[in-house]
Amino acid sequence: MKRRQQGILTGMPFMANVVPRTFVDDLGRKLYMAKVPNRLVSLAPSITETLYAIGLGDRVVGVTEFCDYPLEARSKPKVGYARPNLETIVALQPDLVLAPRDFIRPDVLAKLEQLKIPTFIVEAKTVEDIASRIQMIGRMLGQPESGNRVAMEQRRRLMELKAKTEGLPRPRVLYVLNSQPLITVGPGSFIDQLIEMAGGVNVAARAPSPYPRLSMEAVLAQDPQVIIFPVGTSEGISPEEQTLWRRWNTIAAVKTGSFHQIASDLLNRPGPRIILGLEKLVEIIHPEQFTSSDSQPNR
Amino acid sequence: MANGTTINTAATANCTSGFDIERSVVTHRRWLTVMACLLCASAAVVIGSLRFGAEYISYTDAVNIFLLWLRNGSAGLESAEPNFMILMYVRLPRIVLAFMVGGCLATVGVGLQALLRNPLADPYVLGISSGAALGAALAMLLGAGVTAMAVLSLPLFAFIGGLLSIGIVYRIAVSYGHLPVHTLLLAGVVLNAVFSALIMFITSIMDPNRSFGMMSWLMGTLLAPDYPALGALAVYVGVGTAVLASQSSALNILTLGEESARSLGVEVERLKKTIFVTAALLTGAVVSVSGLIGFVGMVIPHAVRLFVGPDHRLLLPASALVGGMFLVIADALARTLLAPSEIPVGVVTALAGGPIFLYLLTRRKGGLAS
Repeated sequence: MKRRQQGILTGMPFMANVVPRTFVDDLGRKLYMAKVPNRLVSLAPSITETLYAIGLGDRVVGVTEFCDYPLEARSKPKVGYARPNLETIVALQPDLVLAPRDFIRPDVLAKLEQLKIPTFIVEAKTVEDIASRIQMIGRMLGQPESGNRVAMEQRRRLMELKAKTEGLPRPRVLYVLNSQPLITVGPGSFIDQLIEMAGGVNVAARAPSPYPRLSMEAVLAQDPQVIIFPVGTSEGISPEEQTLWRRWNTIAAVKTGSFHQIASDLLNRPGPRIILGLEKLVEIIHPEQFTSSDSQPNR
Repeated sequence: MANGTTINTAATANCTSGFDIERSVVTHRRWLTVMACLLCASAAVVIGSLRFGAEYISYTDAVNIFLLWLRNGSAGLESAEPNFMILMYVRLPRIVLAFMVGGCLATVGVGLQALLRNPLADPYVLGISSGAALGAALAMLLGAGVTAMAVLSLPLFAFIGGLLSIGIVYRIAVSYGHLPVHTLLLAGVVLNAVFSALIMFITSIMDPNRSFGMMSWLMGTLLAPDYPALGALAVYVGVGTAVLASQSSALNILTLGEESARSLGVEVERLKKTIFVTAALLTGAVVSVSGLIGFVGMVIPHAVRLFVGPDHRLLLPASALVGGMFLVIADALARTLLAPSEIPVGVVTALAGGPIFLYLLTRRKGGLAS
């Protein structure tokens, strides 16, 4: 028994020379890379942001039409999203396509395999997953130091947030994806997880699906103290939407005017900016933990 | 309405082969009996469904809340009692809305089926609903989408969409000289396909955050409207239904065939136009508040016809009440089955209405093939 364990340990240095060139993606597929890939196609905004964050922006040759961050990514050739244009991808001659697990269609994946275009599937279900995927992509693409640096920075800020919200009372939070009908985030969704991490309680925590149509009755009974509206980059919460919510004047959040907006991209993309989104969320849910200048709810 | 006399025309109408003629004769007394029964049933269904929702409120609590409200008025209660809010501002308006929408769809179904002498006629088959939905989708694309009810442009666009589609169908059919039934139905089918494609196109170019909400709204959604909006809709639905009901004697004669109706002094073309415009406006109103709710307009008139006979003076108001009850029950299921989350009510009506329709179809093969 003891001897066998020793065998594994003594084998490790040898393994170290082999393993780094073979990578296992989140579908469990093994990918052998003889050399570091140079022409990358990203099929998700989160992956594009990751590549830029670890300093590989100039190796990206194709992105989706939703890849709008950082600004330079917008000028890269577009290849589509869930149903990417295979002809465009082939024409770009990538030596690696990085795709998200949730949105890549099986037939697209099969076609890419058929075309002998190496494809690496990424899936991050938790904030820790995001950090470890950043590290792994860094290692795979020959930038292990910057991958580690970004991931460690993320973990450090996460610890800070945890320390900040530890032991605080947890306000009830309603996250409004759509007002009419009311659609929110339930258990199993990424944002539900973020609300919990930010020291809040999701009022839809009892819902049966990740993106439930929530009954207004349940909202009135649960009495959320904070209502959050995800918005695009430019627009805010529309006056009509605010009027609509003001009708429900027994809700604590309506009484205190605790309506908040947050850039949806920060929470929807499992990439390096997720920590920024989480910090914003803590600021909204626990304004008392921040200096007076930014503690005002922005209605 | 001339209920006092016994009229046999309806009993001889074409869609009643195999129907017991004696029973279908509408006398004043029978009209009153049936309508009184249905009104009682409707009241029972509405009050009964007050009990069902995501949050449990017992009848005793409900009665207490109601008594408190009578004594103190709503001012003090609103902030004190979430159950009061739930009962009076979420559940009750929603039930009333469901009743109106269901009644409206069933009435429109009766009108169109009589007009086209075809049991397949339904606001959906003729493309009126998708036309209205396209109008609504367009309004949402142009930026009115955040609040489906509060913004005026949405119902307006839905009316225009419904009217436009019925106008196109009508124009195509009229080019044949008059309105042959099969041409009209085919035109409706094609129009439906084109409108659905356009709706899909709109959702595909929309901001994905918003198109998600719009798609689920289109699946059939009953929201909790505020009372002014509910009142406006009630006036609308009331006028539309009254217009249709005032034509019920003419519809009875029309079921004998257009030629016969013409020779009996019915202004057939004008009757058709009245029914079409009213149907388009009612459908537009309903679609703009609740999205696409299918099967009510097709199934309910059939079921009601089986029980009360084909005389439109009774069939039309009876269908309105039964349609209302049907949707109230369907919505109670939609509210409670997956509570605290909800099912689109359009899904419930299709799942409930489909099998009922198939059952009627197998039970009365002769009656449906008119």
